[in-house]
Amino acid sequence: MNHDAQMDYYGTHLATCSSDRSVKIFDVRNGGQILIADLRGHEGPVWQVAWAHTMYGNILGSCSYDRKVIIWREENGTWEKSHEHVRHDSSVNSVCWAPHDYGLILACGSSDGAISLLMYTGEGQWEVKKINNAHTIGCNAVSWAPAVVPGSLIDQPSGQKPNYIKRFASGGCDNLIKLWKEEEDGQWKEEQKLEAHSDWVRDVAWDPSIGLPTSTIASCSQDGHVFIWTCDDASGNTWSPKLLHKFSDVVWHVSWSITANILAVSRLFSQEELQMQPQIDHLP
Amino acid sequence: MKLKEVDRTAMQAWSPAQNHPIYLATGTSAQQLDATFSTNASLEIFELDLSDPSLDMKSCATFSSSHRYHKLIWGPYKMDSKGDVSGVLIAGGENGNIILYDPSKIIAGDKEVVIAQNDKHTGPVRALDVNIFQTNLVASGANESEIYIWDLNNFATPMTPGAKTQPPEDISCIAWNRQVQHILASASPSGRATVWDLRKNEPIIKVSDHSNRMHCSGLAWHPDIATQMVLASEDDRLPVIQMWDLRFASSPLRVLENHARGILAIAWSMADPELLLSCGKDAKILCSNPNTGEVLYELPTNTQWCFDIQWCPRNPAVLSAASFDGRISVYSIMGGSTDGLRQKQVDKLSSSFGNLDPFGTGQPLPPLQIPQQTAQHSIVLPLKKPPKWIRRPVGASFSFGGKLVTFENVRMPSHQGAEQQQQQHHVFISQVVTEKEFLSRSDQLQQAVQSQGFINYCQKKIDASQTEFEKNVWSFLKVNFEDDSRGKYLELLGYRKEDLGKKALKDSDQVAQSDGEESPAAEEQLLGEHIKEEKEESEFLPSSGGTFNISVSGDIDGLITQALLTGNFESAVDLCLHDNRMADAIILAIAGGQELLARTQKKYFAKSQSKITRLITAVVMKNWKEIVESCDLKNWREALAAVLTYAKPDEFSALCDLLGTRLENEGDSPLQTQACLCYICAGNVEKLVACWTKAQDGSHPLSLQDLIEKVVILRKAVQLTQAMDTSTVGVLLAAKMSQYANLLAAQGSIAAALAFLPDNTNQPNIVQLRDRLCRAQGEPVAGHESPKIPYEKQQLPKGRPGPVGHHQMPRVQTQQYYPHVRIAPTVTTWSNKTPTALPSHPPAASPSDTQGENPPPPGFIMHGNVNPNAAGQLPTSPGHMHTQVPPYPQPQPYQPAQPYPFGTGGSAMYRPQQPVAPPTSNAYPNTPYISSASSYSGQSQLYAAQHQASSPTSSPATSFPPPPSSGASFQHGGPGAPPSSSAYALPPGTTGTLPAASELPASQRTENHSVQDQAPMLEGPQNGWNDPPALNRVPKKKKMPENFMPPVPITSPIMNPLGDPQSQMLQQQPSPPIPLSSQSSFPQPHLSGGQPFHGIQQPLGQTGMPPSFSKPNIEGAPGAPIGNTFQHVQSLPTKKITKKPIPDEHLILKTTFEDLIQRCLSSATDPQTKRKLDDASKRLEFLYDKLREQTLSPTITSGLHSIARSIETRNYSEGLTMHTHIVSTSNFSETSAFMPVLKVVLTQANKLGV
Repeated sequence: MNHDAQMDYYGTHLATCSSDRSVKIFDVRNGGQILIADLRGHEGPVWQVAWAHTMYGNILGSCSYDRKVIIWREENGTWEKSHEHVRHDSSVNSVCWAPHDYGLILACGSSDGAISLLMYTGEGQWEVKKINNAHTIGCNAVSWAPAVVPGSLIDQPSGQKPNYIKRFASGGCDNLIKLWKEEEDGQWKEEQKLEAHSDWVRDVAWDPSIGLPTSTIASCSQDGHVFIWTCDDASGNTWSPKLLHKFSDVVWHVSWSITANILAVSRLFSQEELQMQPQIDHLP
Repeated sequence: MKLKEVDRTAMQAWSPAQNHPIYLATGTSAQQLDATFSTNASLEIFELDLSDPSLDMKSCATFSSSHRYHKLIWGPYKMDSKGDVSGVLIAGGENGNIILYDPSKIIAGDKEVVIAQNDKHTGPVRALDVNIFQTNLVASGANESEIYIWDLNNFATPMTPGAKTQPPEDISCIAWNRQVQHILASASPSGRATVWDLRKNEPIIKVSDHSNRMHCSGLAWHPDIATQMVLASEDDRLPVIQMWDLRFASSPLRVLENHARGILAIAWSMADPELLLSCGKDAKILCSNPNTGEVLYELPTNTQWCFDIQWCPRNPAVLSAASFDGRISVYSIMGGSTDGLRQKQVDKLSSSFGNLDPFGTGQPLPPLQIPQQTAQHSIVLPLKKPPKWIRRPVGASFSFGGKLVTFENVRMPSHQGAEQQQQQHHVFISQVVTEKEFLSRSDQLQQAVQSQGFINYCQKKIDASQTEFEKNVWSFLKVNFEDDSRGKYLELLGYRKEDLGKKALKDSDQVAQSDGEESPAAEEQLLGEHIKEEKEESEFLPSSGGTFNISVSGDIDGLITQALLTGNFESAVDLCLHDNRMADAIILAIAGGQELLARTQKKYFAKSQSKITRLITAVVMKNWKEIVESCDLKNWREALAAVLTYAKPDEFSALCDLLGTRLENEGDSPLQTQACLCYICAGNVEKLVACWTKAQDGSHPLSLQDLIEKVVILRKAVQLTQAMDTSTVGVLLAAKMSQYANLLAAQGSIAAALAFLPDNTNQPNIVQLRDRLCRAQGEPVAGHESPKIPYEKQQLPKGRPGPVGHHQMPRVQTQQYYPHVRIAPTVTTWSNKTPTALPSHPPAASPSDTQGENPPPPGFIMHGNVNPNAAGQLPTSPGHMHTQVPPYPQPQPYQPAQPYPFGTGGSAMYRPQQPVAPPTSNAYPNTPYISSASSYSGQSQLYAAQHQASSPTSSPATSFPPPPSSGASFQHGGPGAPPSSSAYALPPGTTGTLPAASELPASQRTENHSVQDQAPMLEGPQNGWNDPPALNRVPKKKKMPENFMPPVPITSPIMNPLGDPQSQMLQQQPSPPIPLSSQSSFPQPHLSGGQPFHGIQQPLGQTGMPPSFSKPNIEGAPGAPIGNTFQHVQSLPTKKITKKPIPDEHLILKTTFEDLIQRCLSSATDPQTKRKLDDASKRLEFLYDKLREQTLSPTITSGLHSIARSIETRNYSEGLTMHTHIVSTSNFSETSAFMPVLKVVLTQANKLGV
């Protein structure tokens, strides 16, 4: 049983993971499908895979019911296990790489309620920061905010390294979506608590597009609701939910298109797309 | 791990699943005292607040009760969908009383919380259960075999399910069936369980293992399988949980012996039927899989016994357990660490001191140190097996290039045994195209650029313009490509040189009246007049020489004369000016030389106050900057015209720019947009972009397209006319272009995106995007600067096969685990084929068929070499119209017209989303990145075979040639005909514990035949509630599957047209690959009465769960088709009736069966078997009766005949298969009386080998 399938940065390689404990990588260029790697190392069903940005090489993260997060890396055409993160006490349900601007950082959400952040410090070393009790009885999803501070695309002087504010969203079995922000001392702090779902939050997806003045997060839940959260103010404090759709049963997954005007919503027996209502203001 | 605890010795009840937030009600339990010997009782409600990390539960309300409770349940009666606190708490008391409480009133603190009360029972009410279908029905059990059914709408008078069982005994447990609403089970400490049918108002079966040691403390129905239930025993000598299947109720199906001492309570998870909780006197709380007996989890508990255990209905990972030490604990089975919890408590403790120097020592308190109990590092592991609810079954994720990766796990019926269900693991990559207009316009633009047909393009745009402004912009752009562009610009601004000249000559009076707004006209006028004057002058001067009188008088004339005579032009001019003789002054100044003229002009302009003076000033002084800088912005047109007329080429752009900037900065919004025109004249792309962006919402694809069209054309124009280096791209333009390219890429037009991406730029985002696009196209970055960002690793993996060889899919044994990545076919896949080519997944995608015989389709070969220049070959917009798919796939209109002959309900819903019919193909030769319609839809493509049916040209006849022999005999019974026996090939016994079936939603098993008819293999041989998967313990069935299920390649749904259920239904013909085996091993019976006995078999490769399954879920009212499902269970013939003779043609059945029983009897040794056979012999009378009355359907009789034939050939396993087939396809009520017996006989015969 497959639990996730993700394309790499270029859309040429596909990683899948399955309840048979395997992670597989396919070359899908030009309509082909060549199995490149069958990665074994997990001891339970593998829930999610995530590709790191290619500027760091070919790196894949995977998380499993076996409480492990494994980072796989391609060296000279061969995929191998590069790191094993075993600091969770229960199923790790979600992994998500931070925007590449921050370096290699992987956020992992687990059923033990904690979220851990794996940071590559060079020379094969990974540093772990852990947010305990992020979501009581389990975190189901993590999703990073895009690297650019809202509205700053044009204003930003080119060449100067902007002072990024690192943020990510998480959703869990406490029916909450939480937004986390890295403080100046490097500690992660709960910034916002978004409450609208009446059952487990199954997935959250932060709108990946940059340059828009509005931040947007999509969330879906066991209760069948899909919410779109938007925040207009720069401080990121005021989030308002809008019910996008109410399904009859659990919604498992939401995914934004790269240009973020389409949201794919996955449920059992059907996968649907919901087109965002684009705001069009044509001049006369 | 433990989440919460409450110190209460109490019974507990979770709020119903609808309720949010989650509450836990506790009622002081009867027959238990705590150390205070208090006899007070209370009913309390706690809220489960998981966001609070502490172990405390938030108490919401307490109600002091006069009762203590043996049982407490919380039913969703009259609960609205919003789940406001409602429902009803039902409590079983000590003295035969049942009390209904209103929980909302308890929470509100009302005093009157009792809704109703009734003490009709005798003794303590220990058993209570709410019917999940009709939540107003509550069953209760007490002493003296008392069972009452209470209608909460009419609480005063309970019903009974039937006559009391004898001898009278206590009822310890009661439970409603989870699938059939009128079935109820009760159990007593004596070890007997009774199943009641409320429609018949009597017990229909009694379950007991005769050990007399079962001391029933728990009873639970299988959440999904209607005939299965578990019984738990409190007896320390037999501390077991027995799983029973009522279809074979002579002994337990399985016995779970995981507890060392008696079991006190059980709870079966409604969210995952593989999780059964049990707690026992061995102080353990176990979670086991009742379908396998495996212990999945042992909760870390103290040494106290738990007497009550409950799953939380809303949060499937949460459970509560009440223990004898007076505590109710709430646990999560997902494990986790309690460290954080403890730390939080410490924090809380610390913070309660305020941490702020409480002792005035001048130093804040150090953080509270608690000894780290490292030995007890409190990690609690989760369940051994992931529970069903965290296994994500579907997903769709976008990736670069507008691709959508979707996966779904379609469960396949298995024939290899219970646990090895086969699943289709498909991952699909589809192209999502949502912006058709955007793409088509982008194509047009590209074509224009390729063909250099800019003028045409602009003209088209002008013609299509909706607004005047748009028209202007395009007209301006167009002029760039024409000769005499400045003149044309002027014309566009409304000034035609020749016209003006004429006008001026004709009528100079009008000019005088012209107002300021017509100043340019005046200017022209002025010019005209000037010319005229010159002419006049030249005419005049020669003739004036004659009479010339020089006056040197003292008046001003004289002074001027003197000055002139002395050659002092300066003074003369001054004098003239002073005397306001402007013309004289100017003429003198001309004579006095350039310097003087300039000064004079200046003075003149300083003096003159005329409206047009400034213009004249500018014209004369050639100071256009002045005009541009200071003109009224309303007159921007005129200013622009002036610039167009006079400005030198080298300053032209700058002036236009300047004007544009002024318009942009100072003008109001309509003027701001006009700045664009100035920038167009200036050829300033960057500013155009900035201005446009300011004015328009650039985020929408089409408005971006609007901009890009102009920008691209303007850039081309600038390139052509000004021979400027346009390779430098400004920041803003780069941003816009990359945004545009991103959009194109997001719609799948990667080549186009590359084409539009500006060359020669070091903008990092563009370089990155270019790299990404190139690689997405599957080619290495070539011919471009390599990205500047520090990619550690960029080279493509070496040694990879090129795109040609698709033959590397590993397969064979593990193939069912391989996610079969199917690339959604692109149009090119079949571009060179006739439209009859099936638009399903390209053969290359199926592993079984990829042994080098499928080179990639032509389009893909091209694809590898696509470079930006290939963009010109992009299809035109109509092509896109075909290849793009609306975001909401719609059922195609032609479908209803297709004469699918299955008439019963549900057929129409069977193929909800058909792919779009394939467009005729040749039109799109080189669009490898555009997915075809049929490949797109997440829904439709999952059912590969449906593509075939949906292809209008793939007629069933050609796709599925009928087997030569069967065509005539397989007549379809028409709509509503008895279901075909399509599942007969399923070996009995293997389907019993099919997880596939067990995980199907409940209502499915109660679906009517039409659904099953369509997807027999999907459901397995299930029919009614009473027909769940057969038991798994029938021996010797292991070899059966091979007889009937030749291993069909997993790809068969793609390769095998018969995977399409519709076609199958259409034809009712055996599928070519399968019948070979089924016929060979299974002689077809004669068809009697034209009844369909189809040798149809869903191929193994049937692509699984059809979409219609969701439909039955919704519509199939639980327990709907239950009409007479139970009536035959105990309807053994009781009266002697005069028997008719068995019809001759069926007599052979009786003789065969009786003969078989006799043979078995003679070879059976143990008395138990003999007894069984005797019993069978008697029960078969019922069959014979039916034969006599000829009430059996022909399907059944013909099936029986085949069984008889297989008995004659001593092929009992085949007979059993046939048996399963009959059972699975017939009405249970018709066969229930004799088919089980027949099975016993066949099994015995098989075992004994008679």
